[in-house]
Amino acid sequence: MLLEPVFWSLFSLGGFITAFLFPVTLFVLFFAAPLHLWPTDPAAYTTFLGHWKGPLVRLFFFVLIGGSLFHGTHRLKFMLVDAGFKGPAAEAFLDLILNGVAIFGSLGALFYAVRGWLF
Amino acid sequence: MTGREYPWKRRPGWWLRNRRYLGFQLREAGGVVCALYGLVLLNMLIQLREGESAYTAFLDLLRTPPVLYLNLVLFALVVWHALTWFMLIGKAQPIQFTRQPLPWKVVFGVNVLLWLGVSGAVVYLIFGGI
Repeated sequence: MLLEPVFWSLFSLGGFITAFLFPVTLFVLFFAAPLHLWPTDPAAYTTFLGHWKGPLVRLFFFVLIGGSLFHGTHRLKFMLVDAGFKGPAAEAFLDLILNGVAIFGSLGALFYAVRGWLF
Repeated sequence: MTGREYPWKRRPGWWLRNRRYLGFQLREAGGVVCALYGLVLLNMLIQLREGESAYTAFLDLLRTPPVLYLNLVLFALVVWHALTWFMLIGKAQPIQFTRQPLPWKVVFGVNVLLWLGVSGAVVYLIFGGI
């Protein structure tokens, strides 16, 4: 497949992005306040909306979402192939669905990242 | 002359046979969980755009005890994915600044330090600090 090296590269890039950026982001957003490990609630509406106005924050979430989707869907494909979902037709189906999720999910993240900032 | 092709077989439950296989499979699962969290974050941005009541309802749902406990388990997989990814870097792509390639444990240690630094930078630059 012509695009296979592209998806492998995005998988690898996504691996670095998720490894370095995901744990801290999930901890701050989803666990810090409910587990009383943070003096404030970084995910509260007004607080997060205040941060969301910055272009760096928008770029950060676009990169994070896109990287995680390309990484995770590629991994899922090979887990399913290992589990017996083999053959040219099955793999083409997996490519269509999983790459579609990664591409459209990334485009969605890009849309929300630039909306309210550029237009 | 062509070689004989043997069918590729792997027994069901092969990854439960030893700790290395289990660790490998948990990292694979952690990668998939990262994609699920990518969709959760995307939904968070959608709810943010919808307004305060939609966003707060979404956040409250994530903070109900059953979802919070499930999130803690999934978070452990994400952290395992990160740690094993740092272990992989020195093994899959030996870094050679010296005559001999650096041992993977050194590369792992450097990456963990870098990870802590990057995490601190994210807290201050993205979430406005403590």
